[in-house]
Amino acid sequence: MGGKVTCTLGEVKNRADFIIYWGGNPAECHPRHFTKYTITQKGKFIPQGRKGRTMITIDIRETPSARAADIALIIKPGKDFELGTTLRALMKGQPVDEARVEEIGLSLDTIKDLVDRMKRAKFGVIFFGMGLSMTRGKHMNSAGILNIAAEMNAFTKFVCMPMRGHGNVTGADVVLRWTTGFPFGVNLSRGYPRFNPGEFSTVDMLVRGDNDATLVLGADPGATMPQPAIDHLTKTPTIVLDPRVTHTSHLARVHFTTAVTGVSAPGTVYRMDEIPFTLRPGLKSPYPTDEEIVNLLIAAVASKPGWRPAPPAQLAGI
Amino acid sequence: MLTLTLKEPVERVPLETEMLCPDIVAGLDMGAIRALPVHLGKRQCRVDDFFAVEGEASDELELRGDLRKVRWIGRGMSRGRITVAGNAGMHLGAYMKGGTIEVAGSASDWVGGEMSGGLIRIAGNAGGQIGAAYRGSRRGMSDGTIIVGGSAGLEIGMRMKRGLIVIGGPARDFAGLEMKGGTIILRGGAELRTGAWMSRGTIISLAPIPLLPSFLYSSVYVPSFLRVVAQHLRRLGTSVPDDPAEGTYTRYLGDTAVIGKGEILVWSPA
Amino acid sequence: MVRITGGTVYDPANGVDGLVQNIYIGPDGRIAYIGPDGRSVADAQGSGVRTIDATGMLVFPGGVDVHTHVAGGALNFARGLVPENQRIARKFLHSPELRAGIGGLTPTTFATGYLYAGMGWTTVNEAAVPILSAKHTHEELHDIPIVDKSTLLLMANNELMLDLLEAGEFEQAKSLVGWLLWSSKTFGIKAVNPGGVAAWKWGKNANQLHQPIEGYTSITAAQIITGLARIVDELGLPHPMHLHQNNLGVPGNVASTIETMNMLQGHRAHLAHLQFHAYGGHDWGTMKSEAPAVAAEFLTHKNLTCDVGAVLFGDAVTITADGPWQHLLYELTGRKWGNLDVENETGCGIVPYVYSDHKIVNAVQWAVGLELLLLIDDPWRVYLTTDHPNGGGFWRYPEIIRLLMDVEFRKGEVRKLPPEAQNRITLGEIDRQYTYADVAIVTSAGPARALGLTQKGHLGVGADGDITIYSATPDAEGVMFSYPRYVLKGGQVVVEEGQVRAISEGREFIVHPAFDPGIEEFIRPSFQKVYTMSFENYPTEMTRLRHPHVVPCSR
Repeated sequence: MGGKVTCTLGEVKNRADFIIYWGGNPAECHPRHFTKYTITQKGKFIPQGRKGRTMITIDIRETPSARAADIALIIKPGKDFELGTTLRALMKGQPVDEARVEEIGLSLDTIKDLVDRMKRAKFGVIFFGMGLSMTRGKHMNSAGILNIAAEMNAFTKFVCMPMRGHGNVTGADVVLRWTTGFPFGVNLSRGYPRFNPGEFSTVDMLVRGDNDATLVLGADPGATMPQPAIDHLTKTPTIVLDPRVTHTSHLARVHFTTAVTGVSAPGTVYRMDEIPFTLRPGLKSPYPTDEEIVNLLIAAVASKPGWRPAPPAQLAGI
Repeated sequence: MLTLTLKEPVERVPLETEMLCPDIVAGLDMGAIRALPVHLGKRQCRVDDFFAVEGEASDELELRGDLRKVRWIGRGMSRGRITVAGNAGMHLGAYMKGGTIEVAGSASDWVGGEMSGGLIRIAGNAGGQIGAAYRGSRRGMSDGTIIVGGSAGLEIGMRMKRGLIVIGGPARDFAGLEMKGGTIILRGGAELRTGAWMSRGTIISLAPIPLLPSFLYSSVYVPSFLRVVAQHLRRLGTSVPDDPAEGTYTRYLGDTAVIGKGEILVWSPA
Repeated sequence: MVRITGGTVYDPANGVDGLVQNIYIGPDGRIAYIGPDGRSVADAQGSGVRTIDATGMLVFPGGVDVHTHVAGGALNFARGLVPENQRIARKFLHSPELRAGIGGLTPTTFATGYLYAGMGWTTVNEAAVPILSAKHTHEELHDIPIVDKSTLLLMANNELMLDLLEAGEFEQAKSLVGWLLWSSKTFGIKAVNPGGVAAWKWGKNANQLHQPIEGYTSITAAQIITGLARIVDELGLPHPMHLHQNNLGVPGNVASTIETMNMLQGHRAHLAHLQFHAYGGHDWGTMKSEAPAVAAEFLTHKNLTCDVGAVLFGDAVTITADGPWQHLLYELTGRKWGNLDVENETGCGIVPYVYSDHKIVNAVQWAVGLELLLLIDDPWRVYLTTDHPNGGGFWRYPEIIRLLMDVEFRKGEVRKLPPEAQNRITLGEIDRQYTYADVAIVTSAGPARALGLTQKGHLGVGADGDITIYSATPDAEGVMFSYPRYVLKGGQVVVEEGQVRAISEGREFIVHPAFDPGIEEFIRPSFQKVYTMSFENYPTEMTRLRHPHVVPCSR
């Protein structure tokens, strides 16, 4: 099942001579990535900076990131999984079907060349983005990259890293893991944490209408989710905490305007490589912080009369 | 025979009923059965808050109504029979060891998750992750039989080790994902990435399916083991063609991405 | 205020070996009196004192775990890697008093506190903290209730320090280490596979003690080991350098272990999970126990302490900074593999594993941990751990205690092993049985002393009121140590008859060594060159720690 072989961004800065960006466009979506962490940086072991590194993009179209690449591979949409699987086979010296490989949009020779370059690297890294994790295949596209990085370590030093989304999504993942054991989609209704993506993940629950109230903090599902989810948010009590009035706020029963974290509210944020940073807000806000509102909500719920059922006779292992 | 009839549809928060299991119910009196805990979200309720309970305690249960949001029916059962005269919700027969479950309507995701024995039959459609490993587990179903009359969703038979899955209608992507053994029969074909990263096992498709580049053509024939499989399936009320006069199977080997020794047999008519 | 009357007390640090004593805990949570009587103390305290009648029960100082992995980036990475373990682990239900949680091999933070306290352990030493993510470790420790904590800072692959040592700048290296300890708000120094984790940044390892480390010109593992030990001694830290040696897990590593012990002469050091470093043979097919040789050598080096890192049959999750070893384990077993290299400092590797009683290698490993505990008959220098969760879950320590105390049971377990494994170990011939005093030393008094926590591990006047009370029924199942009747922490009853009764917040022990403040002018430009954050963001603020407590250094 592979695993996850990764590093903090400084390792990439100091050592990576071979960098692949797959399914992401950092030039536009993570604007300081190249200059602060990867390609243009002079690293401890890459004193020549850009000239000491080879950068490759893999995407379905030419983007500003592709224009910065040494090699820009354009593949057909919906073929990331096939390319990942082909790389795994070729790196092990295994045969593949040439005609089906070419449906990816690259020749077998091009892909073999890519494998050779990967093996010749001193330190290779694949950054993978939402072009992979949000298209058909989803987590299996990501699993393909994770497996490639793990298996490449039989030949040379190789790592991978997901390009995380905006806000403190990494921080939420980290905190959920230490308090509940799971990174997202955690159900606490049976008194202990349970995890099952597809059953307890947000979009799936909202589309099926599995919950009878929703609290939204730092997200705007009313703008991004499928219509059945939006209808559900409209029909059931929805509460929003956000510095701005969002699409979801318009569907909600209650909207709290809260201070902007990092600008006027303190906290800790986790970088995409899970390194924590202390936020030092520079401004004051007339609005309360998210934390203050959540604490008030907890106190209000706690003051309601108890309803807690008797502990179950048998803890079913579900 | 114990009959439970859903009093009102479960339309919003799903109902979790892992206690509706022959092993648990067979040994109780009717009062105790009515008082068994079921969970509606965070609320612990009684069976009779949701079901009219009739008949007598037995290892044969009949559930009536649209139970599409009733989850964990038959969890871990090792004997007896559950019949659902309607639809059934997620995790039907998960961790099952023996006995039979029959659903007249459709089922949801995770039918027979990590089961190790028994028979599950769904007349209608089923969801994804049939007989699959729960997230992170090294193996899915390790034995047993699951037969679905209609279509199925994603990742059916994911990491299964042994056992038989038969799907009547089309399956979606990743049928047989990381399969370790056992047999999946896709009577209605499948969408993309069938057999992805499989290391062992047999997938039989009775309709043409797109294949990954890591599956290599091997031969065209009618394997002799198919006669045994066909006989077994006939007893279960379904079938695969095993007569060379009707058609042949093209055999592909893979997944070479994991140096796998699995096979995909794709039937085409003569 | 609590008094415990009539219990049979085991307080080896103060020479009390199974004497009936009364204990009175004062309002400050510390022991105010221990002795046969104490009536005047009781009268002075007046009413409002809870009395625990411990007649017929055994009274021990609360357990001290000198080496465990319970908080921070590596452990949290592991949590995410094994959802299947969480599914089958013990569940902690949310209640008005308790937070929800999951036990198992990578417990969630709240559950970690409940599990340790439930077992009668009241102080834990988190054995591996990277400086770069120390804030994360402190956030998790903040969320572990009841127990007191200390932490060890990963140092033996810190490239700023290695550069200084290689350049011969010992004093600067020492100031750097002092500055890093204070800025990360940690307690001691951890050395893991010295040079090997730095080499792993290039996919290599450091198996030879006297070869230059990959990526460096001259510095060797041996120089890192002796250099760092000397730094720790000169800084006067309460706990010696805590060393996870090179060549962990390698058949035949006994030679490397003995050589390492010898090179540490003249310095204090604590050898971690010594079981993994006591193997003979030359490959997996010939691997055998060399615990007798390691124990004999260890006994001659009075400057050293150790914890055994015993393995128990069953599931484990290997979590270690020893990245190259974990890659090897992944290749050997095909299990999932997690790896996270931390820039310029360290890394971690994670592989779920199962120790099987019919695999010869695992059977030998199981025996080696017990052999070390039995053959090192200086209980003040050897401590009971499983390097949780590498050798097994910490809540299984009572299983090890049973094997140590009951020779007939132990020999019976040895006879169940594959015959070929029995040929490679000496455990079946060892007759020693642990006494209660021995148990109190290896689980509490000894580790407290090694950590330099003078108010822990004993029941003298002034000690913290961390007390575990067991039933005295000797039983065939060995459950006595699994289920204490009462557990007190800081004088408060936290566990009673298996129920967590009160949630207190533990302290974090840290050190503030003396260092040349001018070292910051050296660090800043070097840091900006090779790291990826502003220097101002590197230190951990004191406000992140819950109840920090500075333990003085001796210099």
